[in-house]
Parts: sequence; C-alpha cells; structure tokens
Amino acid sequence: MSISLKRAQAIFVKDYKEFSRNYAVSIMLLFPIVFAFILRSAPTPLTGAFALVLNTSFVILPCFTQACLVAEEKEHNTLRSLMMTPASTMDVLLGKSALTFVMSAVVLGITTFIFGYEPASIWAFTAAIIFSIILYTAAGTICGLFSKTLLEATLSIMPVLIIFTVAPSGVLLADDFPIFKVLDYLPSSQLVHLLGIQGTGFTTGELLKPLLIILAWTVALTIWSVVLYQRRLKDE
Amino acid sequence: MKFEPMYQDGKLILPKIELDMTSNHSIGIITDLKRKQLLMNQLQDHSQYYLFRAGQNEYMRLTVEELITFLIKVTERNDHVVQLMDYFALKEEKKVRVRNLPSSKRMYVTLLRAFFAHQPTLVLEEPYFYLEEEDRRHFKRILDDLSKAKRIIILTSNLEDALVSCDAIYRLNELGFHPLDIRDSEEEKQEVQEQDQANITLQKISTKRNDKVILFDPPEIDYIESMDGSILVHVGGENYVCALTLSELEQRLLNFGFFRCHRSYIVNLQKVREIITWTKNSYSLRLHTGKDAVVPLSRSKLQELKTLLNI
Repeated sequence: MSISLKRAQAIFVKDYKEFSRNYAVSIMLLFPIVFAFILRSAPTPLTGAFALVLNTSFVILPCFTQACLVAEEKEHNTLRSLMMTPASTMDVLLGKSALTFVMSAVVLGITTFIFGYEPASIWAFTAAIIFSIILYTAAGTICGLFSKTLLEATLSIMPVLIIFTVAPSGVLLADDFPIFKVLDYLPSSQLVHLLGIQGTGFTTGELLKPLLIILAWTVALTIWSVVLYQRRLKDE
Repeated sequence: MKFEPMYQDGKLILPKIELDMTSNHSIGIITDLKRKQLLMNQLQDHSQYYLFRAGQNEYMRLTVEELITFLIKVTERNDHVVQLMDYFALKEEKKVRVRNLPSSKRMYVTLLRAFFAHQPTLVLEEPYFYLEEEDRRHFKRILDDLSKAKRIIILTSNLEDALVSCDAIYRLNELGFHPLDIRDSEEEKQEVQEQDQANITLQKISTKRNDKVILFDPPEIDYIESMDGSILVHVGGENYVCALTLSELEQRLLNFGFFRCHRSYIVNLQKVREIITWTKNSYSLRLHTGKDAVVPLSRSKLQELKTLLNI
C-alpha cells in the first residue's frame, strides 16, 4: 500500500476547510477550554478535576471530530468516490487523522495552560496525551464507520463517552462489585493514575505502567479502525 | 467487456452481454432502475471502471475552485486550476460554495469527478437527468473530449439522454439486449411504392400478443417500430407484435396521418408534440402520449416532414 504525502495533504486541506465552515461541529473545539475555565476554581483536588476535563475532552475532540469527518463523507457518498481516485486507504485516514490530531493537540495544550497543571514528568505526560489522542481518533473512526449520517455519528460516540469517561468513577465501586476492577485497565483510568503521580517521589516503573497500558489500547484500536475501514469499503 | 447473466425467481433478468468496445467510444444503455443496479454491481473493479452513481453528492462547504484544486491534487494531475476552470466554463462560479449553486450547476460540478478518473472506462448513471440545457451542452463537450482517450458507458432510462452523446445505443429490457438503430438512412430509398390503391380499405391493424389477436384503430397507435426484424406497434406505452412489414403498414396508414420518419419507424403525426434538434443532423420527435416517448427522425425525412406540416 502506497502512501502519498501530497494526496494526504490535499485531503487534510479539504477537510480543514469543510470542518472549519461547519460551525455546528467546529464550535465543539471551544468546549474543553470553557470547561477548563469552569473547573479551574473547583474545590476538588486539582489533578482529579484536570483528569476529568482531559477524559471528557478526548471524547469530544478527537473522537467526535473524527467520527463526523468520516460519517459526513459516507453520508454524501464522497468516500466511495474517493476510493476510485488513486488515494489509498492510508492516504485518506492519514489526512483526516492528522487534522484531528493537530486540532486536538492545540486545544488540549491551551486547556493545560489554563489549568496550570505541572506534571511530574513532562515527557511521560506528553507521551500519554499523544497516545490518547491517537487512541480516541481511532475510536472516532470506528464510530464514524458504524454510522451512515452525521446525526448518527453524534449519537454513536455516546458509548465511548459513557465507557471511557465514566470508567475512573466506576472504579470507586470496585469494592462492592468486583467486576468493576476491569475498568481500572481502561486508558482513561490509567490517565488518572498517571496524572496523580506528583512531586519527586516516584519511580520510572510507576510512570511506565500506565503509559504502556495506554499504548496497548492505542495500537489495538488503531489496527481495528484500519481493518474495519477496509472491510466497510469493500461492502460499499 | 462482459456481463454475466443474472436470474431472479427463475426468470432471466439480465442476459449474458458481450460489448465490443473497440469501435464505439461511447455507448448508451437504456434500461430500468433494477437492471442499472445489476449492471453496476458487476463493475466493482476500481482499477478498470470509474462508476458514477446517481446518488453522488459533493463537498458542500468548499467553493468550486477549492473543489477543483482538491480533485487535481488528490488525483495527482498536472493541470492548472485556472485553465481547467476555463475549460469547465465555471469562471463565474469560482468563489461560490457548492451548496449555494443552483441544483443543475451543483450536479454539473459533481459530474466533473468523472473528468478526473484515471480508469480506462467511465460508467455514468443518468448523467444528464438533473442538468439544464446549458450544463448539458458543457458536459457533453467534456464527455466528447474524454471519449477520445477513454470508453464511456451511459446508463439511463431515457432515450433522449442517450441520444445526446452516444455513438451506439442499446436497449436492455425484459425482451433482452438489443442495439437500437439510430443511423441515418439516406442510402435506403424505398422501392416499394407500387401497390394497388383501390383494394386498401381495411381499417384495422391486427396485432398479436400472448396468442391473442388484437385489432387497433389507426388513430390509437402512437408509433410503430421495427426491431430485430419484428414489427412492434406501440399503443399507450405497451407494445404489440404485428405481422405486416413496415412498408405495408406505411402504405395502409398513409391516409391516417402516419409518417415514415425513419427507416425503422412510422409515427402517428397526430401525436407528435415536438421536433427535437440534437445536433445539425440528428433529430427526434417527442410524442404526447401517456408515457413520454421519443422517436428518431432521419435527416433525409426532415424536409418531407416540414412540407407535410407546412413549416
């Protein structure tokens, strides 16, 4: 499978123009920033509130954006027509994901700045954010592929929102319902652990474990989204 | 190019078709919705066929210029946007977003995707259906240029659309897959004129359908067509087989206002509503019957018809 950066770039530019003019969807970019302003002065411990903002933003930004980009192409049958151009699967996915990634990274950067969060290890924090953005972008692709229209796409991210965002709170019930211990292995719970590590008293192992779990999720979901994308296009 | 036969409920709905694409660069196939889908489903090979389906939409929020730029880049062509916009005659719409275009223009812009196809064969479903006169002309011009290097197949349910830009036209229906004769027939002068005028008094035209003999009054008939050697009498959208030859029918029906407008057509002039001019030497007649019917008109017969109608 050939990857052409020129074609991926053309798709990036086209999607950027489409997305920025679709105000109903692009207004969502402001959500994490507004959310950060509201929760900044919350009485809860800083890291907890920040983790909540991040986990919600991941679903709303990369996941929702990507699902909309994919679903809108499906709705207008332009994806089918794109498949008949020399652009390969990877060109299309790369172009779209790059746009989602850039937008998410910028907005989350601003959010972190507003919150004034200072991570124990800046490298571990950046890596976790990057892995998470890729992970939720892949989840968004999957949601988009399962929906036929833009409207369906906005609803299809609900399961992601519920499972991933609520997981860290669900872990609190693990004492009563042992089954909920599984939720601790979701990437959102691991992100909470990672953000919780503060100060200087930590070991590399403590940092590495959540990172590796998030990375495993990222790889798994990315592979699933690419495979599903190719399968769906054969059906068209 | 080959199509495999398809059966439904034990009935053959798509016969085995082998198209010789070497001599004709654009082919029109007149058929119904279901058969169009079946044909297109057999052309899934993206490296050979560019499929343009009727439901195709466009990126609504891009301007026309941005869209063309995107299509050039994504297909990695070396064209220049400004030149192409000139060629497409879209200069005035350059800055207009696709969603704000009038619907005919939007369809025209969407159809331009076919121009960028790299496949050797283009298959277009109902390309002219939503186009207005002017956009039709532009798209026909583009297709004519494309057909120099590529093969074009137009699937439509409308004879008129196929006539616009096809070298050869076929009709695919429950009767099978048959070529439609639209050539001009100047070389064929009718030699059968010598008949005894006195004994033509029979008023009815007898036809056969499902082993029944049905008699029609001449004014009921819309037009008569010769197809693969059999004579089909069209009445109210249905057709019936007649045992007489076209020349015999022409003789009989002369006094009822019928006219031999083509080597293989006789038309009831009472029912003609419009003379359509496609190009300088291709014409058809549109009838005002229950169903919209179009009958080809030979160039050689046009003068004759004009004198008949005093125009």
